[in-house]
Amino acid sequence: MALVLRFLNGAYIFRHCPKPYASCPYLVTRFADYCSSSLQNPVAASGRTSSQRKSEGDLQGHHQREVALDIASPEEKPEVSFDKAIKDEIKDHFRRLKDDIVNHWIGPEGRPLHEVLMEQAKVVWQFRGKEDLDKWVVTSDKSIGGRSEVFLKMGKNNQSALLYGTLSSEVPKDGESGRSGYCAMISRIPRGPFEKKRAYDWSQFNTLYLRVRGDGRPWMVNIREDTDIIQRKNQMYSYFMFTRGGPYWQEVKIPFSKFFFSNQGRIRDAQYQLLLDKISSIGFTLADKVDGPFFLEIDFIGVFTDPAHTEEFAYENSPELNPRLFK
Amino acid sequence: MSWAQALLLARGISRGWRGICGATVMGSPFPQVPLQAPRGLHCSAAATAAGSSDSWLAPPPPPSEPQKGPTKALAFHEELFQRAPEGTRDKADFVRAVQNFGQQNVHKRGHVDFIYLALRKMREFGVERDLAVYNLLLDVFPKEVFRPRSVFQRMFIHYPRQQECGVAVLEQMENHGVMPNKETEFLLLQIFGRKSYPMLKFVRMKLWFSRFKNINPFPVPRDLPRDPVDLAKLGLRHMEPNLNATVTIYQMPSSTDSTGAAHPAEPHIVGIQTPDQQAALAHHNPARPVFVEGPFSLWLRNKCVYYHILRADLLPPEEREVEEIPEEWNLYYPMQLHLDYGRSGWDDYEFDIHKVEEGPVFAMCMAGAHNQATLAKWIQGLQETNPALAQIPVVFRLARSSGELLAPSSGLEEPPPPPPEGQEEEEDDQQRQHQGQS
Repeated sequence: MALVLRFLNGAYIFRHCPKPYASCPYLVTRFADYCSSSLQNPVAASGRTSSQRKSEGDLQGHHQREVALDIASPEEKPEVSFDKAIKDEIKDHFRRLKDDIVNHWIGPEGRPLHEVLMEQAKVVWQFRGKEDLDKWVVTSDKSIGGRSEVFLKMGKNNQSALLYGTLSSEVPKDGESGRSGYCAMISRIPRGPFEKKRAYDWSQFNTLYLRVRGDGRPWMVNIREDTDIIQRKNQMYSYFMFTRGGPYWQEVKIPFSKFFFSNQGRIRDAQYQLLLDKISSIGFTLADKVDGPFFLEIDFIGVFTDPAHTEEFAYENSPELNPRLFK
Repeated sequence: MSWAQALLLARGISRGWRGICGATVMGSPFPQVPLQAPRGLHCSAAATAAGSSDSWLAPPPPPSEPQKGPTKALAFHEELFQRAPEGTRDKADFVRAVQNFGQQNVHKRGHVDFIYLALRKMREFGVERDLAVYNLLLDVFPKEVFRPRSVFQRMFIHYPRQQECGVAVLEQMENHGVMPNKETEFLLLQIFGRKSYPMLKFVRMKLWFSRFKNINPFPVPRDLPRDPVDLAKLGLRHMEPNLNATVTIYQMPSSTDSTGAAHPAEPHIVGIQTPDQQAALAHHNPARPVFVEGPFSLWLRNKCVYYHILRADLLPPEEREVEEIPEEWNLYYPMQLHLDYGRSGWDDYEFDIHKVEEGPVFAMCMAGAHNQATLAKWIQGLQETNPALAQIPVVFRLARSSGELLAPSSGLEEPPPPPPEGQEEEEDDQQRQHQGQS
């Protein structure tokens, strides 16, 4: 409730300030969207200190404390004063807006154009500090009443992230679930100033690169595009990542042409390739129906252009399943 | 109300009366068909009435067996699956139960419920990955009855409950990774016709299963070996990417007379080492210790095995040897070939990040027990092939069942996290892992 009040307050103040963004109702609906998406009970990453963090970090810490009931973290009382927090948030958003405008003159995302065009390998997510963990949300089937647990923390020496937990495929007794047992780590959607949703543009790359160390379990990598449109709410592109296990770091290269399309959890008959210019988030899911503890250590996640890979899309549509595509 | 509704109401009332009257009559111990017979609107009323009137003379279902407990009611055909004594349930019993259903009921009444029950019971009998059993179960459906005969029947879901049941059978096949074959296709054709949901699901399974059959770059065989030594060998070969590695069995488990389980004092010890690792260990500075770390978990399909590793810390930058590039002594062909992706100076496929570096791993092993004595035997066995190991101090860092591997605590640019905090976190992990495993 306090969250909504603060957002509304913020919206009221912003209404009177001139800004290049769209009109007020659009802003309010965007905030409402952010509220509703944050009420989906993500399991908060452990090891977070939610106190003394500015702007949206503060907000997230606030809703984590309301929502994360299963992490036994010590109850820290941060010194929160609403006015100060709102002022900090406003200042932060304006600073980001200023950076955005200034960076637009330098080039895309603040880097000179020739650097962006010639880039052939890019590190998108790395895990070298606690703030890198904040870009990820960790969920499990606890949200539907299951018993899997999953936690995300920094690995040894702050050089990698460790996602670990226990998978339990015990079906929750709510009368409507037939199966259970999944854990997922999803990246947060990148936001610009005033919480405007941004997207990643990977159109010049063609392979996803992950440096991981697992325990032999098969994971699924899911890429989601912009999910604001209601038809796209449950659509994602997925592929499998097989870990080897063992003490050696494993490099996983998945070309984007291998991702298949699925909607509401089912593979669809009509397949089309993943278009890389508006990617919202990426996620890793473990749901291999085997109960027990698991772990996955991630060093970094990047995208690069594999010059040896020329395939555009790996799956053909079949006329038996989709006669309308072949008329 | 309309005449159709009145008819249905009258039929329902008459059935109810018959049920009450029939409860007092003793008869054969066979179970009775459920109150609302699953007939579609297409069957004639006479057939339904005639069919149900026979059964209403039968008694109510038999009282629940004492081993199930009085509170849980049995499903209708459950006693077909309980003929075998406990502990010896196998495929033959399951097949016999399914065939008995067919023999008892010529008209296959209640086949949908029976199929759902059989799908639930498959796991107990251990036949959930057997295609022949699934085909037998699909055989339970009456043939040619549910096929749509007109375009309208094809448009609307013809016999929806039966189609849902067929899809449920195929879905269980999909969950267990069973690929259907031509017999399944023929059965589905006979039962549901070509334009039905089970047939559509079958086509999808054929397509996607064949696409994803070989995508695992590190395949693990479906039937894992029972013998722990073979399992250890498989696991070690799975983890080690170098094919030159040699697997050595340092100790076989000594079998006892009665149970055949490994003697607790002599568990199996299987180790693996590559020639590169051997060379690295020979060059290792004896002043620096090597660590035996473990146990770490490795999952092979649905079995978890644990392994230990022998590794050393990363050398600090000043002590690292610079590799000398020898001058080219062979003018006919190059002795070292570096084939990179880059075409020339403008191509750069390297990531702009400092990858995580960890100390070298010298050997790995899987042992039956995770105590220091067993691992000491492994080290002794290793000393036969690596005589340099005799001079190097070995430190045992055991009793960590958390998933992560220890990174070297020194020799990197960033300062390590404070140790008591790290250990506390690991103890929490350990407790959680124990709770997860127990």
